[in-house]
Amino acid sequence: MRGGFWRSAGLIALRDLRVELRSGEALTVVFPFAVVASWIAPLATNASPLLLRDLAAPVYWLITLLFGMMIVLRQTALETRAQRRALALTGLDPAARFAGRSGASGLVLAAVAGTLILPVIIFYDYRPPSGGALMAPVIILAAAGLAMLGTLAGDVTIGLRARTSLAPLLMAPLAVPLVMGAAQSLESLVAGKSIITWVLVLVIADLGLAAAGVMSARALEEISL
Amino acid sequence: MKKRLLAVLTGVALGAGLVLAFTSPPDLLQGDFVRILYIHVPSAWLAFLAFGVTAAGSIGWLFTRRMSWDRVAEASAEIGVLFTAIALATGMIWGKPVWGTYWDWGDARLATTAMMFFVYLGYLALRRTTTDPRLRARRSSVLGTIAVVQVPLVYFSVKLWRTLHQGLTIRPDGIQMDGAMVSALLVNLAAFTLLYATLLIYRTALARMEEAAAAERVPAQSPVTVPRLREADA
Amino acid sequence: MPAGGPTRFSVSGAIPIHSKRVSHPPGQPASSALPLVDLVDLSVSLGGTPVLSGCRLTLRPGESLGVAGPNGAGKSTLLGVVATFIAPTGGSGTVLGAPLASPRVPAVRPGIGWSGHLPALYPDLTLGENLTLNAQLTGYPASQGQMVLEQVGLGAAAGIRAERCSNGMLRRADLARLLIGSPRLVLLDEPDAGLDQDAAPIIDHLIRKTTTRGGAVLCVSHDADKLSGWVDRVVEMRDGRIM
Repeated sequence: MRGGFWRSAGLIALRDLRVELRSGEALTVVFPFAVVASWIAPLATNASPLLLRDLAAPVYWLITLLFGMMIVLRQTALETRAQRRALALTGLDPAARFAGRSGASGLVLAAVAGTLILPVIIFYDYRPPSGGALMAPVIILAAAGLAMLGTLAGDVTIGLRARTSLAPLLMAPLAVPLVMGAAQSLESLVAGKSIITWVLVLVIADLGLAAAGVMSARALEEISL
Repeated sequence: MKKRLLAVLTGVALGAGLVLAFTSPPDLLQGDFVRILYIHVPSAWLAFLAFGVTAAGSIGWLFTRRMSWDRVAEASAEIGVLFTAIALATGMIWGKPVWGTYWDWGDARLATTAMMFFVYLGYLALRRTTTDPRLRARRSSVLGTIAVVQVPLVYFSVKLWRTLHQGLTIRPDGIQMDGAMVSALLVNLAAFTLLYATLLIYRTALARMEEAAAAERVPAQSPVTVPRLREADA
Repeated sequence: MPAGGPTRFSVSGAIPIHSKRVSHPPGQPASSALPLVDLVDLSVSLGGTPVLSGCRLTLRPGESLGVAGPNGAGKSTLLGVVATFIAPTGGSGTVLGAPLASPRVPAVRPGIGWSGHLPALYPDLTLGENLTLNAQLTGYPASQGQMVLEQVGLGAAAGIRAERCSNGMLRRADLARLLIGSPRLVLLDEPDAGLDQDAAPIIDHLIRKTTTRGGAVLCVSHDADKLSGWVDRVVEMRDGRIM
């Protein structure tokens, strides 16, 4: 708790963002891969323009989920056991570590998810609904939730050989409220309805994940040392 | 002895349930398909009960760190996955002739059950990958806790999804049931609950024995010995 | 036998280490006779396999102890237990007054310095950033990071990313981590692995600095001779037992 919870969380987030900026794995490897995936999907549907426009939103969220998992799980892979041990000995609150890592992952994920709208507009001739700017908070809330979930899934499977396959399996079904909340917000926007209910679903999911993360932080630290 | 008595009682109850399931009258609309529900409904109930107990076991472990909580969580999750699979399978078999489709995307219960199935399948996979009982308890209790938070939200959001979109299917809600059918269902519910209790008790005892056996298995103390390079040369 | 007097210590060159005294937060008077480490019949099994059994070990303020033994004897696990990373499965123990695996453990962790087989550095961060992060998280000013790097002779290398550093540089930087805030309990696992001749006095300095301030040092190595050059007392470890 030295120096306060948020200061420690900030230092950890800064560390992760700095590492990402230098290694560029999310932005120069995962992101292009996601663009390729969004480009391949139309090939499987004969690229009928009407069908493509219908597919745009679901494909977008599916790609955001799948590649978001890649981004978040990549971030957690960055810490070696020695690094985690050294961190624990600084007296770092494991909940602050969770907050910092999720925060950094969430930012990277939100940036990637926001940019992924571009290829969807280009390849699917997608037209964002009026008031599309409202999607920004939705993307941020969904990214935050996915980041927390991924950080937890990564930590739960730390040190396991099956980790790369197991963590996504644990994460995907639990991401249902996040994906539904985000996808349905967009649907509501298109239909000209209020998105507040779905934003609320996202907020509740995020709060629940934050609570689970804080509650289990100590037990997860014990696994990781 | 109490365990055995419970097992016998469970056997009797299951037998009675089976008899009632076959002797109760067929449904006016569903015909004999209604008999599937005598397995489907109790299985679904057990699934929710079992995962509820797993959730309680996970949180209990997090707060008390007693291994007994973890054993209950594990045993209940295994039973839960089994009965979720039965509930999903029987639901689909029943759904095709009655609803006209295997999978109804409008049913929040179905979506939640499927999600729980995947979550706890992952839970069991996670348990299998860790041999150390204490590490296993840590990992799985965290997952169990996250699941507690997310599962109710899935139910709520699928329900919300469909109410906002208008229902697509005709749901057999509010159908009046014959007295004999109600009693057949109730007896089966009771029998399945007894079955759950029996399986839970036996599985928890087995887990305790597994842990004891693992602790007893003392391997050779030092697997590393002095290299005998000269002998190899000779 | 303390292998070298202060005169032999010339790693940092310009900066005499002893003058840069930093106060340590969980401070207790050095004269306190309470042991800093006290293990009683402690055992650890990992995945059902016993790794440590019946270990007894007491470390009082000012003491330095070496544990020598062959590969697989359980030395690193012992160090992991004392560092509060690995919870004992049997017996009991206290570290810096906190019973092992108790809720009081996290509070004493900042008083422990540990250096393992592999350096705990982030390859994408510079040496300076690595040490600064550690200092800041421990509650010290960022300048501490640069200062300890200078002490181990890496002052000029602070701007180099860890991934571009040699093994020896990484080891030095990892030992510099233990100079931040002068932990009361210093735990070293084969500390000279990868270190060159010039850098060897760092270990000496670290051990002496800790013990003269009323701290204690536990150092493990497969080489008993080397250990006896660093610490006051060497015990042997075999098959998970301290002989």
